[in-house]
Amino acid sequence: MKEVVEGSHAVSEAVRLARVQVMSAYPITPQTHIVEALSEYCADGRMAARFICVESEHSAMAAVIGAASGGVRTFTATSSHGLALMHELLHWASAARLPIVMAEVNRALGPGWNIWMDQTDSLAQRDTGWIQLYCEDGQEVLDTTLLAFRLAESASLPVMVVLDAFFLSHTYEPVDIPDQASVDRFLPAFQPRIQLDTQDPFALSQMAPPGCYMEMRHDIEAGMRRIPEHYTAAEEAFASVFGRRYGMLEAYRCEDADIILAMAGTAVSTSRQVVDDLRERGEKVGVLKLRMFRPFPAALLASLAGDARKIAVLDRNFCFGVGGIFAQEIRAALYLMDSRPPVYSYIAGLGGRDVTPETIEEIYVRTKQSERPAPESVWIGLDPAACPVCRTD
Amino acid sequence: MRISRSNVSTEINKTGSWRFVRPGYDEKTAPCSNACPVGQDIARIEMLMGQGMFPAAWETILRENPFPAVCGRVCFHPCERVCNRGEMDSAVGIHHLERFVGDLAIERAYALPHPFYGDEAETDRRATGGKTVAIGGAGPAGLAAAYFLARLGHTCDIYEADSEPGGVLRWGIPWYRLPEDVLKAEISRIVDMGVKIYCQKPITRDFMARAREQYDAVFLGCGYGRSLPLWIPGEEKVLNGLAYLHDIRGGDNTCTGGRAAVIGGGNTAIDVARSLTRLGVEPILVYRRRRQDMPAFDHEVEMALAEGVQLMPLVAPVRIDGGDGGMVLTLQRMRTTRMETAGGRCRVEPDGDRTETLMVDQVYSAIGAEPGENWLFPPEHQPGQLRMSHCILWEHPDARLPVVFGGDLTTPVKSVTDAVASGKQAAMALDTRFRHGGKAIPERLGACRVGDGTALSMEIYLSGRRKTRNPAIVPFSALNTDYFAPAERQAPPVLSPETRCGSFEEVEGAYGRDAAVQEASRCFNCGICNDCDNCRLFCPEVAIYIDGTRCINLDYCKGCGICVVECPRNAMTLEEEAS
Amino acid sequence: MIHSPLPQTDYMASGHVGCPGCGATVAMKFALRALGEKTMLVIPACCWAIIAGSHPQTSLKVPVLHTAFATAGAAASGLRAALDMRGDTETTVVAWAGDGGTFDIGFQALSGAVERNEDFIYVCYDNEAYMNTGVQRSSSTPFGTRTTTTPGTNWKHTRKKNIVEAFAAHRIPYAATASIAYPEDMIRKFQRARELKGGSRFLHVYATCPTGWRVPSDQCIKIARLAVKTRAFPLYEVTDGVRYTLNHDAEPPLPVRDYLSVQGRFKHLTDDDYGEIQAMVDEDWELLKRKVALAPEEARA
Repeated sequence: MKEVVEGSHAVSEAVRLARVQVMSAYPITPQTHIVEALSEYCADGRMAARFICVESEHSAMAAVIGAASGGVRTFTATSSHGLALMHELLHWASAARLPIVMAEVNRALGPGWNIWMDQTDSLAQRDTGWIQLYCEDGQEVLDTTLLAFRLAESASLPVMVVLDAFFLSHTYEPVDIPDQASVDRFLPAFQPRIQLDTQDPFALSQMAPPGCYMEMRHDIEAGMRRIPEHYTAAEEAFASVFGRRYGMLEAYRCEDADIILAMAGTAVSTSRQVVDDLRERGEKVGVLKLRMFRPFPAALLASLAGDARKIAVLDRNFCFGVGGIFAQEIRAALYLMDSRPPVYSYIAGLGGRDVTPETIEEIYVRTKQSERPAPESVWIGLDPAACPVCRTD
Repeated sequence: MRISRSNVSTEINKTGSWRFVRPGYDEKTAPCSNACPVGQDIARIEMLMGQGMFPAAWETILRENPFPAVCGRVCFHPCERVCNRGEMDSAVGIHHLERFVGDLAIERAYALPHPFYGDEAETDRRATGGKTVAIGGAGPAGLAAAYFLARLGHTCDIYEADSEPGGVLRWGIPWYRLPEDVLKAEISRIVDMGVKIYCQKPITRDFMARAREQYDAVFLGCGYGRSLPLWIPGEEKVLNGLAYLHDIRGGDNTCTGGRAAVIGGGNTAIDVARSLTRLGVEPILVYRRRRQDMPAFDHEVEMALAEGVQLMPLVAPVRIDGGDGGMVLTLQRMRTTRMETAGGRCRVEPDGDRTETLMVDQVYSAIGAEPGENWLFPPEHQPGQLRMSHCILWEHPDARLPVVFGGDLTTPVKSVTDAVASGKQAAMALDTRFRHGGKAIPERLGACRVGDGTALSMEIYLSGRRKTRNPAIVPFSALNTDYFAPAERQAPPVLSPETRCGSFEEVEGAYGRDAAVQEASRCFNCGICNDCDNCRLFCPEVAIYIDGTRCINLDYCKGCGICVVECPRNAMTLEEEAS
Repeated sequence: MIHSPLPQTDYMASGHVGCPGCGATVAMKFALRALGEKTMLVIPACCWAIIAGSHPQTSLKVPVLHTAFATAGAAASGLRAALDMRGDTETTVVAWAGDGGTFDIGFQALSGAVERNEDFIYVCYDNEAYMNTGVQRSSSTPFGTRTTTTPGTNWKHTRKKNIVEAFAAHRIPYAATASIAYPEDMIRKFQRARELKGGSRFLHVYATCPTGWRVPSDQCIKIARLAVKTRAFPLYEVTDGVRYTLNHDAEPPLPVRDYLSVQGRFKHLTDDDYGEIQAMVDEDWELLKRKVALAPEEARA
C-alpha cells in the first residue's frame, strides 16, 4: 500500500516488517525519526521487540552486539558523530560475524557543528568490515533495509543502509509499504548461526592469538567476496515477491556514453534529470549509481563503465590529503582492468550544500573540456566570501 | 566460519609447570598430644567430639589409653598447660571432655571395635604367636600393660596383692575425686578382653623363680605402697597418710572430730586433708616450702583451701610429743634461699632457731612413698637392661625371662597417666622383643614417638592412620587464627565447699552434651585436618579434589600457597620443588 | 567429608592462565558456585578476558561473551533483551568486569544500564588498578598506592572512587560489597542477587592481586580479610539505594596500617600517611554507619 512517508520512516517500516527483536539506539548525536517511530511500535505493540534506549551510540552498538550474540534479529540507527563513536564496535560486530543491520543517515562531522548531508561519516567506516548500501529514494530505503537483513543473515556480516540526511531522511515521498505476509515470505524468521546457549556453553569473541588471528581476518574477507553472490540471490528473491530490483550498481544511459557521471545518494536523481537534458542536447552522457560500496563491486563497475572515455565522480565527502573517496575507490578498482578510462574527481555538496542540476552540468562540462584529470580533486561552488579568514597571528 | 568461538577446556594447559613450591597435606603434632604422657591424639579427639561423634572420639582415646573416665578425672592434664588456645583466651577443657566421653561410654556401654587401629594385621595377631605375660600389680601401669598386651594378641595374668584391682586408683584416691563405679567399669572392660586378675596374690620371689614355666615375660608395676619415714622423734605416733586413704576406701573411717596435722605438700597430703574435712576433722597442712612450691596440683590445693583446710607453709616438723589426750608438734621455721631445686621449687633452710608448736589430735604423714619390697625395684646398671623413658626391661638372669619394671618404679613423674604410659611402653617393648628381638626395641619404639617427647603411640606402632603424622609440633604462630573467635571455656558444675565438706560425693560434675560439643569446638585441632575444606574452597586453580580424601592435582597447582596459609590448623606444608 | 553448606559445583576449570594466587579467579569460582549453570557471562577487557582463555580455549563452563572494554553494561543489556525475546527468563546474565572497566571506561555504559534498571547482575572484581596491562592506576586505586603511572613520590594522592555509593545513588534494587575472604557472605550475596530478578544488581567484589600489589601469592586471602577487619573494605548491602545493612562489624577494627604495611604497593608510606589514610577509613566508616542507622531494622536487607 502506497503511503507518503518520510525517508526515515521508510526505514522504521522496514524494521517493523522485518520482525526485528532487539533494537538499541541513542536518540541524539544526531539521530533521526527512525528510532522514535520504532520506540512507538514497541510501545503500542505493533512490534514484538525490545527497544533499548541507551546512553550513547557506543552502547547502542554494544547492546545489539550483545543481543545478536544471544541469537535474535537486531537493528540500530545513527548518524555522523554517533557513527564515529561506534567505530570500535563496528569492527567488533563484523569480526564477530553478527548479522546486525544499521541505518546510517549521512551527516557532516564537526566542528563546526553541522547536521546536514555529507558522506564522510559512513565512508570513514569503510575498513570496518560492514557491507554498505547507499540509497536514492524512500522506496529504495525501505526495500534496501529489508534486503539488508537477508543479506546480513546469509553472509554473517553486518550491513549499513546509508541514506542522505534531510534530502532523504526528512523528505516525504510516496512509498509502497508491503504487507507483512509478503515480507515474511521474503524474510523468514531469524535462524541464528551464533547463539549463546547454557546447554552448550562456549566463549565468543575472546582473544585470538597470532596463530589464528590472520585466518579469522581472511575468513571475513572470504565472506565479503561472496557478497555479490548472496546479494544477487537476495535481490532475486526480493524481486520475485515485490517486483523491484536495484543491483549493486545501476548504469543509467551509459551504454554509449563518452562520459559517465558516478555518484551515490539523492544526487543520482538530480543527475538522471541532467543526463536526460544533456542527451536531448546530443551529449553522450550517462549516470553510474554507486549503490554497493562495501564490498566494492569492481568487476561490475569495469563492465558497466569501462568503455566510457571519461568517468567523472561526484563526491559529497572528502579524504583530506587525498581527495574524494568514491573517486579513489573507482580509480583503484579500474587499475587492474584492461580498459581504464581516466577518473575525474569533483567535490560538491559537503555539509548539506545543495547539489543542483547546474552543479552536475558544471562537472560534465569541466570533464568534457579537460584533456586529463587534475591531480587533485576539483571543488565545485567554493565561495571564498562565505567564510572570512580568521586571523590567528 | 572462522570466528573466535571456543569450547576447548583450559584443562589441556598443564599450568602446574609454573610451580616452584609444592603444597602437601602434612598433619602435624598438637602440643597437647606432645605433652600428654600417653600421647593421646587430642586434636582428633576434640575434632570428633566437636562434631558430636562421641563413639569415634572415645575409640580414639582408647587407642592410647584404656582409662578415659579415670584419667579425665585424675590426670594433672599437662596437655592444657601447653594448649595453643591458651594464647588466645584459655586452654580447652581437655580433661573435662575426656571425662565426659569416658562416662558416656560407660553409660552407653560402648564396645571396642575390631580391628581397632585400622591395621588389618591386628586381626590375626591374636591367632599367631601370642605370648603369655605375668603382671605384678593391678594398678594403672599393670592394667595398662595388660590392656595393650591383650590388644597386641598376648595373654595376661595380673597378680594383685590387695583385695581388689586398681592400685592407687582403688585405694589411694578418694571417692570425691574418683567414684568407685567409674573405676570398676573401666577395669571390667580390660577383664572382658580376657585379662585375668588374681587378687590377694602378690608376686613373690618364689613366683619369679618359677615364672618361666608358665610365662614368656613378667611386668612388675607394684607401685609405691610404703610411706617414707619422717625420721623425727615421736614418729611412732604419726599415722600413715596412704594407709589412712586406703582405710577410708575400704569403708573404715577411723577419725571423727578434732584437729589433725597433715605433713607434706603433695597430692596425697591434700587428699588426706580433704578426706579429714569430710569426716569432721579440722586439718592443718604442714609444709616446709611455700604454697607455690607444693607438688600437689594447684587446682587441688585451691579446692582444699576452699573446703577449710589450713595451710602452714615454711615449717618442718622436728619432734612430736604427747599422747592420746593431744599431741604437740614442734615445728622448725624455714626460710627460702635463692637456690632452686631441679624441679624449679625454691630451696629452703632453717630460719635460725625459730620454732613453734602446734597442738593437734592426730598427725598424718604424707611426704612420699617407696616400693613395698626392695627386690621389686630394678637394680641399677646391671647388664642386659634396657632403660626406657617409662620402664626398664631386664633380661633377668635368675628368672631367665624378660622382666619389665614399670609404674611408679620407673616413671619420671609419679602420676596415673605416666603409669599408663609405662604400661603401654612395656607392652610395645615386649611385643617387639617377642617378634623381632630385644635389639629392635629402641628403633621400633623410637618410630612411635609422639612429637618430640617421650610419649609413644600404639596407633603408630600398629601402623594406623596416625603413622603419617609429622612429629613437628604446631606452634601458635603457625595457626591461622583468623578462623578462630574468642570463646569462653565451659565450666562443669562443681559442688559448693559447704556441700562437699559433708560427704565424699564427687566434687566436680561433668559437662552436658551441649557444653561438651561447644568446648570441643573451641579446640584448634592443631596440626590435623578437620575437613574444613578451606584448601579446596580457596584454591584458585580448582586443583584440589576429593577422591576418598583431599588430593592436589599437581598438573594444575601453581604453588600459590593459599591452601597452606588458609589451613587454620597448620595441617599442610609448602615445600620447594625438587628441581 | 564436606561439612560446608556452600554449593559445591565448580564452573571454572583448571589450566587457566591467572597468576598464582589470583584473587579474581577465587572470586569467579565463588560467584559461579553461587550462580550455577544457568548463567551467561559478559566479560569486557580485563584480567578475566585473558583468564577465561584465548581461542580456542575457555576456562569457564558457562557461556561467555567477550566484549569491548567500555561495553559490559550495554552488551549485557543486549544479551538480556535477546534472552527475554527468546523467552528465556531463567538464565542470569552477569557482566563481569574489572575496576578499569567499571570505575573508568565502562562507567558510562554501566550507569546507563543500571539507570534503565536492566535485569542483570553486574560484578566488578576490584583489584584496584589495571593489572592485566602492568599495574596502571585506575579511579579505583586507593590513596597512597604506587603504580606504574603513579610512581615514586607521585603515588596516588586522590581517594578511591566509592563505586557502591555511585550505583546505590542510581537507586538500583541491590548493591553490595563482597570479599573473597568471606566465602559464605559472598556466595549468599550472589545467590540473593540471582533471586532478585527484574532489575540491576551490582556487586563490588574485593579481589587481591598478589602480582600488582607486590604481596606473596599465599597471602591473597589473608590480605582480603585484613581489608575487612581494618574497615578499608567494609562488607555491606544496599537495597533500593537507601536501606543499608552492615554484614561484618569489624569490631574492634585493626589499624589500617596492618593492612597497608604488608603490601609492596604501600611500602613508601610514612607514619603521617598512615594517619591520613586511617582518618579517611574512619570517616568512611562513620558515614556508612550513619546510613545503616537511617534504615529501620525491619527494613534492612
